[in-house]
Amino acid sequence: MNKTVYIIITLALIVAIGIIFTGGAKSEQSVEIKNGVQYITILASGGYSPRTTEAKAGLPTKLIMKTNGAYDCSASLVIRSIGFQKILPQTGETEIDLGISKAGEPLRGVCGMGMYNFLINFS
Amino acid sequence: MLKKYTFHVIGTHCPACKILIEDILKEQSVVKNVRVNLKRETVEIETDSEKNPEELAQILTSKIKPNGYTLSIEKNIQEQKSNDVIWKAIPIGLAFLVLFFILQKSGILNLSIGGKTTPATSFIVGLIASVSSCLAIVGGLVLSLSAKISQDDAKENISDTKTYLLFHTGRLVSFALLGGLLGIIGNAIGINFTFAAILGIIASLVMITLGLNLTGVFSKNRIALPGGIFNFFRKIEHKTLTPLIIGFATFFLPCGFTQSMQVVAISSGSFISGMLIMLSFALGTLPVLLLLSFGSASFAHGKHAPLFFKSAGVIVLGLGLFALLAGLAGLGIINPLFNI
Repeated sequence: MNKTVYIIITLALIVAIGIIFTGGAKSEQSVEIKNGVQYITILASGGYSPRTTEAKAGLPTKLIMKTNGAYDCSASLVIRSIGFQKILPQTGETEIDLGISKAGEPLRGVCGMGMYNFLINFS
Repeated sequence: MLKKYTFHVIGTHCPACKILIEDILKEQSVVKNVRVNLKRETVEIETDSEKNPEELAQILTSKIKPNGYTLSIEKNIQEQKSNDVIWKAIPIGLAFLVLFFILQKSGILNLSIGGKTTPATSFIVGLIASVSSCLAIVGGLVLSLSAKISQDDAKENISDTKTYLLFHTGRLVSFALLGGLLGIIGNAIGINFTFAAILGIIASLVMITLGLNLTGVFSKNRIALPGGIFNFFRKIEHKTLTPLIIGFATFFLPCGFTQSMQVVAISSGSFISGMLIMLSFALGTLPVLLLLSFGSASFAHGKHAPLFFKSAGVIVLGLGLFALLAGLAGLGIINPLFNI
């Protein structure tokens, strides 16, 4: 086969990788305010969902990480801004106290290998 | 009119060879200028002879043959061929990467395994882990080292099987032993995130280096790599202890599955159960890893070897970059670029 053909296939494959890397399913956000405390729930299993959460600033906030039979990377959670690193239980809920949320200080969590991440914006 | 030819030279084993060949060839009336490049094993000559390069190579070889050197134009032809191979290898390598990332994204691997973790479930977790994103690091490392070892050993006629067996033995033994230790100590030795992430970054750099090396990009563009690094690899490849140690070290490589199993081993509370959990996890990952190393061995000795090495190089390079970016994101050095 001709070199040009290979170059075209190569470009097509690079585009495919780009689509795979940037694409992602959108999922429902779960932010609840109970008795003046803001609860943000994120599911950790083969990645985090929802990937981006919009929450209110100025409220005492708790992050609830839910796992259900998770053995993959998303179970090993790191949130550097609050110095949190822990391996979540395979199944269960982990409550993390975020203190009073501040506007413009988003919270980013990554899994230990850095392959999955989530972001919470406060406004 | 002076013409310039570059010949491939065989038999230059010593620094003095350069001087000897240059002296002999300079005495020839047709040769106006001669330069030997030992590193690239080439001889450049300038000549006013009207003969074609094949004839010239033959004539000049007859002069230096008594000293054990041969000139040929063959190597050039081979290089020409391998230049074309890289254009086939890039799409093949990328196609594998696409399949791999689609597999990750598809969610097939996010099997929930509920209940108590037993050696049987950890074996299944191992099977899943071996095709998961952990493959990017552990598998990429195995593939790059195996391909490199096969490539070098094919040249030197040394068996690569022993090296593979040592690596996999080291891996199994370390998982069993350290799993058992986790069981008694009940403390997190293997799960320091920063330590694991740094190891992962080192592994990804090794993969990128070996990947570039396998694709042959360096030899083609003549970018000089620090010789020390390559000598280091060459040296470590053939020692008995090194594959064992690398296999042993895979216990600490960042992999969510491994870390989860380490936690299970810690909470198991006894040497035997910790060992069984980690050993069966490692056994679960074994089939894919064995396939990678012995697969590369069989390709390496087949007739498509150049294509295989270059494709493997492209795959390893892609996985290495992926692991490097992920590792940097995991350490919080860069913002995560992707979510796979």
